[in-house]
Order: sequence, then structure tokens, then C-alpha cells
Amino acid sequence: MLDETLAAIADPTRRAILGRLAEGEARVTELARPFAISLNSVSKHIRMLERARLVSRRVEGREHILTLTPAPLDEAAEWIAAQKRLWAWRLGELEKVLEEDA
Amino acid sequence: MTTTTAIKVTHRYAAAPEKVFDAWLTPDQARRFAFATPDGEMITAEIDARVGGRFNFTDRRPDMGDVAHVGEYEVIDRPRRLVFTFAVPKFDPTYTRVTLDFAAVDGGCEVTLTHEGVADEWRDSTPKGWEMILTSLEKVVG
Repeated sequence: MLDETLAAIADPTRRAILGRLAEGEARVTELARPFAISLNSVSKHIRMLERARLVSRRVEGREHILTLTPAPLDEAAEWIAAQKRLWAWRLGELEKVLEEDA
Repeated sequence: MTTTTAIKVTHRYAAAPEKVFDAWLTPDQARRFAFATPDGEMITAEIDARVGGRFNFTDRRPDMGDVAHVGEYEVIDRPRRLVFTFAVPKFDPTYTRVTLDFAAVDGGCEVTLTHEGVADEWRDSTPKGWEMILTSLEKVVG
């Protein structure tokens, strides 16, 4: 899950799509417009975001409407924060080693 | 696209840069902090301290058994800079990169540790760097 989340947000177009959806839901056709890429290409990015469960889609008539579902990002943020805490702890331990071996 | 920095941690020590630098490459010292975890016991600490040389620190953890931390030294520039690739294959086979910069400051040394998400070789197919990720997280979650 974490891999899918990180892979999903490792692309600038997909981040821009998420940024747009953070402001509110949008139609697929609306999303394609600001990116100057084909609808087909946007659809690929959206499918990847859906697989990572960052975006959900509902169909209203002929419109496909996308909504941001940001929960997986919390997991990614927590993982990154945990990495940072671990390195900070290790650098603190180094200080003890230096003191003990002085 | 260039890999951008993601996790950056700094710490000041009341010791000369040489001494702090050497601790990373001295098995008896490095095993006590470098790839340790708060609850683990370091059972292996092997260091081949030359460019292209590898290390293996295996941490025995109460909850998940033996966890190897492996990598290869890329830059050994005593006492200024140490760069190595880094992976914990049990969780993720991807090699990331850790850069340590040692700066002499009044009364000691300041170490800046930078852990980049993914080494250049693997960059194209995998997440590109944690700063970008963090930035996008801020935008989306923030």
C-alpha cells in the first residue's frame, strides 16, 4: 500500500491532479484541460491514483466525477516521519558513543 | 529530474569532525548507533571502509527477527563527507542514499544527515525523492 502511495505521488502530473482535487471534486474532462495532455494520458494517471486509493470515481450520467480520498497519504506521511525520528535518535546515540569513548 | 533531498537531520557534537567521522566507520562504535534501533540488538557489524566496499549491520529485533542493513560506500572523504547506498532488504529491496556532511563548528562538529529516497540508478522507475513527496503531502493534506 505504501509503495503504491509513494509511486502514485512520485509524478508531477499526478501531484497536480491531487492538488486540484484537494480544492474539490472534478470531472475527468475538467482535469485534462489545465495539463495540456491528452484525455487518454490523464486517464492513465487517474487509474494509477485510483489503484493507490487516493482518488475515487463516481459516474453521474455520462460524467465521471473524481474525489480526493487522502487517507493513504497519512500513512505515507507517518512513514516518512518515522524515518526522520529514527535518524534523529541514531545521531543522538552517536553523541553517547563519543562521550563514553572519550 | 534531479533527486531532491528528503529527510534531513542535523546534530552538533562536542568532538572534532575526525572523531565523529571515524565513529561511522569503526565497527565497535558504529554498531551502537549507526543502524541501530531503540529495541534491537546488533548481532553483525561488518564494514569494508573503502569506496565500493560494503557494510552489513544486522539488528535483532524483538518483534521482527533479524533485520539486515546493507549498502556500499560511495564517498569517503575524511573528515568532510561520507556517502553510502543503503537498503533494508527485508522491507524494501530498493537502495536509497545517505549522505553525511561533517562541518567543523566552534567547539566541535555539526553533522547533517540527508537520506534520499532513491539512488540515481533506480530513480526512473521508483519514487523520486522524499522532499517532493513531502511537498506534495503538504499541498494535498495541508
